Amino acid sequence: MNISIPELLVNDGFITPGDRERIEKFSARSDLSFIKVALNFGYISRKNYERSIINAGYKINPVREEAFDGEVLNKVELSFADAHLALPLRIRKNKVVTLMADPTDRLFIDYIRMTYNLEPEIIVADDLDITWLTHKLLGNDYVKSAVFELLNHDPDSSALITFSTPQMVFFFLILGLLAAGLVLNFKSVTIILNVAMSFFFLIAIVFKLFLSLVGSRFELHQAVSKEEVRNVVEDELPVYTILLPVYKEAKLIKKLIWNLQSLDYPREKLDVKLLIEEDDDQTLNAVRDLDFPAIFEVIIVPYHMPQTKPKACNYGLHFARGKYLTIYDAEDIPDTDQLKKAVTLFNKLPENFICVQSALNYFNRNENFLTRMFTLEYSYWFDYMLPGLDTLDIPIPLGGTSNHFKMENLLELGAWDPFNVTEDADLGVRAYAKGYKVALVNSTTYEEANNEPFNWIRQRSRWIKGYMQTYLVHMRNPVALWKKIGWKGFLGFNFFVGATPVTFLVYPILLFIFLGYVVFNLASIKTLFPDWVLFICIFNLMVGNILMIYVNMMAVFKRRFYELILFAIANPIYWLMHSAAAYMGLYQLIVKPYYWEKTTHGLSKINSATNVIN
Amino acid sequence: MRNRRGLYLILITVFIAAYYLLLGIYLNKLGYYNQESLFFIEKSKVLLDGLGNRLKVMGLTTPILPFYGAFIFARINILLAPVIASAIGTALLFYIMATTLIKRTNDDFYLLLLIALFLLHPGLLYTACSGKSIYMVLIFFYLFFFNIIRFYSSNTTFHISLASICLVILVFCDYKFIWLTLFFIPLVLFISIQSLNLGEKETVFRLYQSFNSPALRRKLVNKTFAIYIILFILPLASVLIFKMLNLTHANDLDYFLDSPYATWAVLADRLSFEQATSFSHYQSSQISALVTASIAIYCPMIIVAIYFFRNSTYQILTIATPFAFVEFLQIKYDKIFLAHEYFLIFLILSLLCIIFRAYSHINQTGVKILLSIIVVFQLFTGYIFMKKSFIAEERDFVKILFNPSPVDQQSENLEIADYINSLPDNAQIMMDDAIAYPVIAFTNNTRRLTLPYQETFLSASEAPEHYVNYILTASERNPLTGYTQLNNKYVPAIKHSDNGLNLQKVYETDNWVIYKVL
Repeated sequence: MNISIPELLVNDGFITPGDRERIEKFSARSDLSFIKVALNFGYISRKNYERSIINAGYKINPVREEAFDGEVLNKVELSFADAHLALPLRIRKNKVVTLMADPTDRLFIDYIRMTYNLEPEIIVADDLDITWLTHKLLGNDYVKSAVFELLNHDPDSSALITFSTPQMVFFFLILGLLAAGLVLNFKSVTIILNVAMSFFFLIAIVFKLFLSLVGSRFELHQAVSKEEVRNVVEDELPVYTILLPVYKEAKLIKKLIWNLQSLDYPREKLDVKLLIEEDDDQTLNAVRDLDFPAIFEVIIVPYHMPQTKPKACNYGLHFARGKYLTIYDAEDIPDTDQLKKAVTLFNKLPENFICVQSALNYFNRNENFLTRMFTLEYSYWFDYMLPGLDTLDIPIPLGGTSNHFKMENLLELGAWDPFNVTEDADLGVRAYAKGYKVALVNSTTYEEANNEPFNWIRQRSRWIKGYMQTYLVHMRNPVALWKKIGWKGFLGFNFFVGATPVTFLVYPILLFIFLGYVVFNLASIKTLFPDWVLFICIFNLMVGNILMIYVNMMAVFKRRFYELILFAIANPIYWLMHSAAAYMGLYQLIVKPYYWEKTTHGLSKINSATNVIN
Repeated sequence: MRNRRGLYLILITVFIAAYYLLLGIYLNKLGYYNQESLFFIEKSKVLLDGLGNRLKVMGLTTPILPFYGAFIFARINILLAPVIASAIGTALLFYIMATTLIKRTNDDFYLLLLIALFLLHPGLLYTACSGKSIYMVLIFFYLFFFNIIRFYSSNTTFHISLASICLVILVFCDYKFIWLTLFFIPLVLFISIQSLNLGEKETVFRLYQSFNSPALRRKLVNKTFAIYIILFILPLASVLIFKMLNLTHANDLDYFLDSPYATWAVLADRLSFEQATSFSHYQSSQISALVTASIAIYCPMIIVAIYFFRNSTYQILTIATPFAFVEFLQIKYDKIFLAHEYFLIFLILSLLCIIFRAYSHINQTGVKILLSIIVVFQLFTGYIFMKKSFIAEERDFVKILFNPSPVDQQSENLEIADYINSLPDNAQIMMDDAIAYPVIAFTNNTRRLTLPYQETFLSASEAPEHYVNYILTASERNPLTGYTQLNNKYVPAIKHSDNGLNLQKVYETDNWVIYKVL
């Protein structure tokens, strides 16, 4: 077979000669092989490529069970093998058994000859199988680095240890004092506890109202105008990495491609990495079965505990080529101009702004009660609370996706903590502690709101657990934190990250007291809580709830979701779900702190339209 | 430059506060008091020194925020606390208004106008030096309208939410302002119609179009409803919560409105009206549609304000809302005279409009001459309206202000309080603070008093010999005698039911009698 693969593809009509030229130029620029570019940058679908090489007389072999020799593997670099979709496995009959997606890749064949002084014995295989095997066999060092990099370089910022010794001493001391107090004077201690809880609840909510009000002041502010986006010179745009960590999201792959194709950014300057776990054949097969060109590169994350999203992202970072980087979930629909807006904003901001956070919202908001409540919550969070934090210069706990980073600063920070289940929130605080700033951009990514209660509770329990982890990590040395982020940042961090789980934990207790007193008229409660305490508690609980309802109501205005306003009244019920999730999160924090409570996506029956920005 | 102006403004505010304080204290020393400040003094005394469950006093005394405002200064001087609060509060009002002004214009003329009004206007002096809570009403009335008008231009949730929060505080300064919400209903609908993206300009046709298109109708209804909710849910919910607290702690949803133990206004307003209507020369000039006209005479600046906004329908409708509100109050509370506070809100509103628009008028000289004339005229009308007021406290204030000589307004209460103060330290005196709060305000040991908020009061009133040594009762001539249990009928009744009880009249004035329990 003398014909090269590029020629074959042109002859078969799967790519045009113009495409071939573009691919070759891009390949030369990027050090990626021809076939890697063709398959990962939207030129040809895997199905068509398979057809083409089978017609040319090649046989595609299943290779995942192939034997390998460590000595042979040691001589090849993961990035090089990955860039060429080829992998030498072992020596057999004086030949190097080599898996290749493009059996005519001269550069790799020459590399084999020069490295091993032997001729290659080429086994043609599916590129995804080669990628899978390459990362599995060569990715060990990279995955270890993904897991332990932060721990090795900045152990104080790692959540590997959930409770530090002084924290344990502190907690047990408090518990001991409490127990002693209850034994010695049950009534007084209960009253003090109750009043403290009640005031804490109220202060935390008033703080949130304050933040929302501050944030709402700038709701019409445009960080980047349409005019500025129109003036972007595409040739000057940098390479932009998009990480797409997925796990068992086979249903969403087609949607994902559609959403990525809608992004208004030069295709060759996009470096999209689909991060698939080694044991996730479901998603890998979904990618394999695509009958249209993909515009992402698959990275297989070798198995290593903890199996979390931040670990996958850290692994993906080793292969990222962009100046900037962002993360999307598989079901995300970003505004089409989001990347351009992020680049424009980075260019406008001072150097110390290393991250730009986009707003998140939901495309299936009217699906059911839960999605409506979730939409209200996200609207106030991203449209009011985060701008409030930003205005007051308080650390911003980043949202799960659509946070855009400067790559070099992200690496300098040690990237994400794989042991923290809200690695994004943690990173936001860590960046702030190192003197960096986070900005907000007027662009939205639409996600799928969880529409199933138990799925919702699982997801929320992870978030709340993550907040607890983040709080514990950064409060290992409160004085140092105070010095790093200043009093405003410190108080904001305590009220925003620390108080959030506590309010959810306290809420059902206060509600029980309220119901016990007002509805059931329980005598025992009356004995324990004198009139003035109950007066304060009831006042705080009611005012707290009303304020939280009000904050949620404010949320509908910016996005004109007026029809949702009355649903804010159901907030006390929604809070009970938060409380259930908080207790679940607390339990998991103690028994399995790194466990990633997986959220099932793709449950929505609402079709998501691409959010085209003109 | 701006910083320097800001500094000057702080200095001017401090000067104004000092001026108010001096004047207020001077008038107070001359013997000027009013029912509201006496009520707050009494409640502050109970809170600071009283015995028993003071929770109800603390939580249910209304208007609650002005009470707390006065209470803050109770430790400094309990008798002067309301005056200190009102003096500082009015100076703060000046500062807020002046800050808004200097952010908009560098022309000091308008600032001078504002200073002149705050220094000389009898109504504002009454606000500052009387110890009443008008200052707080005016502050939050100003902030409410300021944010509403800002909302029209900014269209952000921030201003509408702040307006709502200010309305909540306003309602807790004077409950009657809850009715203001009624008159915003058509205004909000109008705002929603105007904000729809329609080609038609005329409001009626816009309304017609939006009601006849299902999509527009849905949008209009949703938006109108959303604005109502965001504006009114906080005040309405707060009132509901407060009523719930009244229910759980006083077994009456409207305790804070109807009980003389919770608010001074119940009896004071009734007494004021009864006294005024019993005069032969009484003319019901206030109970008529002429209130709006009176306001225009009292504060002609409001007409100028409307003129400034003549091309802004929202703003004109917004300015018109308080007129409807005051007219409504006249009808709803037909047995209560319209207090000067409800005239002053128009002065504040017109100043707000002047602050927003006057500096941008093309003919500045004309505007300045006109405003100067109006300000002088308003100083005069301010004096006349207070002098001719149906409310005695207002007449008394202006009288003592322009003719500073000692008044014996509270002499009888002081006389009784002096007698009580002279009683032995261990003597327990029972009295009913529903009407006797002016006496308690002047006593110097609240711990010796047995009052209705205390659990022992009921037992003491049924078997006084076991609980108290003295009883203060209202005499037959006391105009409020019908509003207390401890009146001239109490003594014969208790003697009848308790044969062993021996009471001796030890002190008597026109309105009060003190009995010693033997």
